Amino acid sequence: MPQPLMELFPSSLRFVLEQVPAVAREELEEIRIRENRPLEISYGSRYSFVREDGTLTDQHREAFVPSKELCRALLERVTNHSIYAVEEELRRGYVTVPGGHRIGLAGRTVLDKGLVSHLRDIAGFNVRIARARIGFASQVLPGLLDFKARTIRHTLIVSPPQQGKTTLIRDLARCLSLGDWGHPAAKEWGSRKVGIVDERSEIAASERGVPTFDLGPRCDVLDACPKAEGIMMMVRSLSPEIIIVDEIGRPEDAEAINEAIHAGVRVLATAHATDISDVFARPVLAKLASDGVFGSYVFLSRVGGKVEHRIISAEEALQETSRTYSRTIGATPRDAPWETKKPAAMNGSTTASTTLVTVKARSMPVIRSPNPLEARGFDDA
Amino acid sequence: MLKFAGILLILFAGTMIGFLQASRYAARPRQIRELLHALQRLETEISYGQTHLPEALRRISELVPRPLSSMFSSISYSLSGNSAGSGETVRECWERAINVHWPATAMKKAEKEAVLRLGSTLGGSGREDQLKHIRLTMIQLQAEESSAREDQHRYEKLSRSLGMLGAALVVILMI
Repeated sequence: MPQPLMELFPSSLRFVLEQVPAVAREELEEIRIRENRPLEISYGSRYSFVREDGTLTDQHREAFVPSKELCRALLERVTNHSIYAVEEELRRGYVTVPGGHRIGLAGRTVLDKGLVSHLRDIAGFNVRIARARIGFASQVLPGLLDFKARTIRHTLIVSPPQQGKTTLIRDLARCLSLGDWGHPAAKEWGSRKVGIVDERSEIAASERGVPTFDLGPRCDVLDACPKAEGIMMMVRSLSPEIIIVDEIGRPEDAEAINEAIHAGVRVLATAHATDISDVFARPVLAKLASDGVFGSYVFLSRVGGKVEHRIISAEEALQETSRTYSRTIGATPRDAPWETKKPAAMNGSTTASTTLVTVKARSMPVIRSPNPLEARGFDDA
Repeated sequence: MLKFAGILLILFAGTMIGFLQASRYAARPRQIRELLHALQRLETEISYGQTHLPEALRRISELVPRPLSSMFSSISYSLSGNSAGSGETVRECWERAINVHWPATAMKKAEKEAVLRLGSTLGGSGREDQLKHIRLTMIQLQAEESSAREDQHRYEKLSRSLGMLGAALVVILMI
């Protein structure tokens, strides 16, 4: 486990984590700290609870239980004692710490005019450990080359969470700005100017604007910048040849990507989805895909401890989806299911709304929180 | 001859004690003012720059003069990662540093309590809330400052002359 990450933890927790067996520490992916509940780690696609002496167990009753004070101290440390400076991150439910590690937070949300304004009473932390896998991209990159334009095709990297999208994109950025194409025919191409819009500070893990991961010599990073605006800023002022963005999915992202593509910039993006039908099921991605924006798709999946990838080109993707679509359309009679289903759903919703209306307003009973001593668990037993 | 030397020494010591006391009366409002400036700076760092607390306190420590600067720099140091000795919260670091460095200042208990109260909320909430707490502390400090100025007007010259006159009295009694 990287040392700077350990320094984030309050001493009592650090003491426990430092004694975790080396096997687990090498492959550590997540550390889950929940107030008054057992400490959990996940490594190499499996999970374990951690005892107070650092040994691993499957029994949650034997595990180390972080106290309220420990969680408070941890929150202060991960926000660098400045919650006011991470309000925007709290609204989204995570903070990114030096080293690019992302810490997901669970707590009670505070609403402002119906929108989440921030989190309070934070009692759950999920520390996701970021790793640079140098050489990961060299297996993928040769499949993405566009030999006519002597650069890469517009590419969408797709996978469920936790499969290594960000790790891959980080290494791709390094290869592209280094000119390490991994293909004999591409040796003479030279390197490219790469622009990274790093909304979550995960790709580059910038500290005061300077990336802490190795991203090659020709890389510009817009740190903590919203993707759509960042792409436009990049195109206007930083003249990138390749733009890299993480986790697209909002309508404005698609618009910005369209702009960038027509400005002669290659786009490398990631998105959450399992397979090509998922891509076509998400409205924004479907629009981009059916417009033929992306030249190739990379699908990542993890089998055991290894990350497998599959590259398919746009034509194959379109074929695959149109085939499934035509089949479903052909197979279903045009009238029956749609016609019958809709009124039923309508009925259901109207009855539900009438029942809602008839509920009278009355005073709610006082809700008492459970005995705090009981909830504290076994640590002081 | 020896007697004369003794008289001189006593007069000198008395005068010095008086001057010291007077300078403490003069230093208190000045230091409260400096503390106010520091808090104003902190307010800007939090509201405009969104600077993280350790960094903000470090910058403040470079701007304010001596007794306060060491206080702020020690808080900033114990909060920053490289000391990383323990899982300390802002409140603990703040209290410890204030307790250590307060005797070196001319300020009194009322100011100390206001500053300690600020420490227990600092860094633990959103921006608006932080600014409210800082402003509240500043208002308290301003009240203390005006009372400190009154004390200064009343007692500064008095204690200076009192020191010398007290020494003179001792001399007269001894002769």
